[in-house]
Amino acid sequence: MELNRRAFLGLAGVAAVGTALSAKRLVGADIPGRGENALSVAINGTAQDAAARAGLIAAFARRHPDIPVTFIPIQAQDWGDFFAKILTMVAAGSPPDVVDVATEGTQLFAARLAHPLDDFVKRDASELKEFFDDVSPALIESFMYQGSLFQMPFNFNAANMYYNTTVVNAAGLGRPQDDWDKDTFTTYAKALAKARPQGFLPYFWTNRLFGGVVPWLYANDTCFLTHEKAPGGDWLWERFYPGQPPRSGGFLWPAPNALDPRVVETFDYLRELVAERLSSSPAQGGGNELVARFAQGDIGMTPAGGYWAQGLHDGGMGPDGFDVTYFPRWRTQRQSFGAEGYAVMKTSTRKDQAWEWIKFCISSEGIKLAIPKPNTTPARRSLVDAAFYSDTGPKHWKVFYDTLDHHDCWPIPAPPQQAGTQNALIKNTPNAITGSAADTRNALATFQRDLEIAMGSKQ
Amino acid sequence: MTTATPSTATPAVHSAPVARDQERRATRLMTWLFLAPTVIGLGLFLLIPIIGSVVLSFFSWDIISAPKFDGFANYAAIGSDPTVRRAFVNTFAFVVIVVVLQLVVSLFLAVLVQTKMPDWLRTFFRSAFFFPLILSAASVSLIMSYLFNADFGLVNEVLTAVGLPKVGWLTTGNGAVVVVILVYVWQNFGFTFLLFLGGLSAIPTELYEASSIDGVNAWQRFRHITLPMLSPTTLVASVMATISALQIFDQPYVLTRGGPGDSTRTAVMMIYESAFQDLAFGRAFAIGVVLTLCIMAVTGLQFLISRRSVHYQ
Repeated sequence: MELNRRAFLGLAGVAAVGTALSAKRLVGADIPGRGENALSVAINGTAQDAAARAGLIAAFARRHPDIPVTFIPIQAQDWGDFFAKILTMVAAGSPPDVVDVATEGTQLFAARLAHPLDDFVKRDASELKEFFDDVSPALIESFMYQGSLFQMPFNFNAANMYYNTTVVNAAGLGRPQDDWDKDTFTTYAKALAKARPQGFLPYFWTNRLFGGVVPWLYANDTCFLTHEKAPGGDWLWERFYPGQPPRSGGFLWPAPNALDPRVVETFDYLRELVAERLSSSPAQGGGNELVARFAQGDIGMTPAGGYWAQGLHDGGMGPDGFDVTYFPRWRTQRQSFGAEGYAVMKTSTRKDQAWEWIKFCISSEGIKLAIPKPNTTPARRSLVDAAFYSDTGPKHWKVFYDTLDHHDCWPIPAPPQQAGTQNALIKNTPNAITGSAADTRNALATFQRDLEIAMGSKQ
Repeated sequence: MTTATPSTATPAVHSAPVARDQERRATRLMTWLFLAPTVIGLGLFLLIPIIGSVVLSFFSWDIISAPKFDGFANYAAIGSDPTVRRAFVNTFAFVVIVVVLQLVVSLFLAVLVQTKMPDWLRTFFRSAFFFPLILSAASVSLIMSYLFNADFGLVNEVLTAVGLPKVGWLTTGNGAVVVVILVYVWQNFGFTFLLFLGGLSAIPTELYEASSIDGVNAWQRFRHITLPMLSPTTLVASVMATISALQIFDQPYVLTRGGPGDSTRTAVMMIYESAFQDLAFGRAFAIGVVLTLCIMAVTGLQFLISRRSVHYQ
């Protein structure tokens, strides 16, 4: 058979046209091994993390032998990176049925990708009463968007203030009062610096959405985005939290607010801390590298969530080596937190199965299996007890959950455009806290511009 | 004896072209068969994506909803976006510095390694200089971020130990640029180094012997023999280094996320951020198209310049 160039190109053309015509059908799910007849659950973690949750799947399988579940572990640098990878799965035509979503992505998923849980919650209301009785409404409200509920929390972390008790005691300081303020915090920082002048930082923080500038902005009764609360959600509040202070249909972050005088004031304060060597000048990053430094006594105080209890224990600190308190007061003592829960994808054809999975994962049994150690804070109040922290500490472990109950506590600001707004925050924070007061204002002007672009209010 | 019957002559005359035709067809078939995997691969994974990218750059697409035709809106948007402009300026500045550094360092080390030394030591240096290239850029950058941490990093510890002040390597614009360049060059010079080693070994030793007889010193030998003879290698190395550097992503993404401010933001980072953070895939494609045109222009320019300065013999 002769295959000349013309014939070859013709065949190639036919192949290309065929591929193009079948593009709608030829999706990632067609790849052998994908699209198996199992509920696919994407989690932010490694294959080892997925293996560690094998017990959860096994327990679920005992209760629901008709619903096979497969974890899709996705390794990511942070939540934004994780969500980007989920989007590539969507683009490839093989979206998972269920996605593990933290507060950072709640509104992105709610606005674009996730299926509301309202009907499921209403249908199984009597079964769920026990769950809602055990969970702070602050966590539930953080997963509401425009009056609908999109996730059910199984863990959370509030940005509390950890301190090294050895270092604090050596400086002649005691445990700060629960309602300590910004000035007391500064006094503590200066006293710690004086007591340990060499290679020591009184306050260390990381440049990211959780535990970075945001707790200080909240304490100063402001944020880099304006905030509102959506109407709606009464169907849930009236049924599950009757008689409690009114809640909303979810938080809204409608507009950039980086030039608000209180935002400027907050960055000025942090800039002064950096200039006086009372605080780190944070590069972008996570919190893991901090553990060793904190355990070695190189850091006096740092904002972190309940996840750090296990981290510090693993880093060699005894239960009495560190303790935790609330983030200090400024104009308010508003606290910040981030939560985690599963979202059901709009595209899923197994929504009923996904709901069963979610219900199991928020049950006491499910949370105990998923969180055997204090490497995060369980969403159920009844599971945050002395026994849970008996090996690790801290002594005042009650602070973790009481933060939600006893303070004005908001989720970290994460609108649907969270990736862009977080990127704007991370990239402009270093410039805003180094240099002069004029540099701070210039950096915040750029921050405002970047937020406007990210929020779509400026092209 | 010189005559031949037509019946015998005609088949002889016809059979040769037929055989040649068959041979040509067979050769052509074999050629296309051997080329097929490459052509299909390039078509599927290069040509179709390129065409798709160009087409989608005229659309507004957030990956979730259907693409919407937007004309040149994406190109207009990236032209007026100061962050994109800054990213391209950063990228070109980075390319100039990095390519020059990479060529100079690689050539210097290649010449050193070619000098008289035991074979095992030469092998050691070759491997050692090439080794960083086989490491994952993300892992290297992560480790470097610890080394250059302003508060607790090893580099600042050493500076403090010798009485120098700490430097905000990753928290100041200039410091971050220096670190990104250092990390990139350290990780990538190994390939250029190998190219130069190959080029050096191809220079005829007679030229050096003749120059020794003429009393030429080492610098003159390098300037008038080594450099001109290496010019084809230098061209290839510079083109490859330029194309690679124009696509830098991993190092600034892991080390600085493009910051502080936009000081280390690059064009490819803008593609990634536009696509996967802002869900503006059309804009990401438009930036990709512009970057591709830039790469083609820069590479063409390099070849144009090379006509005058590259010596192939």
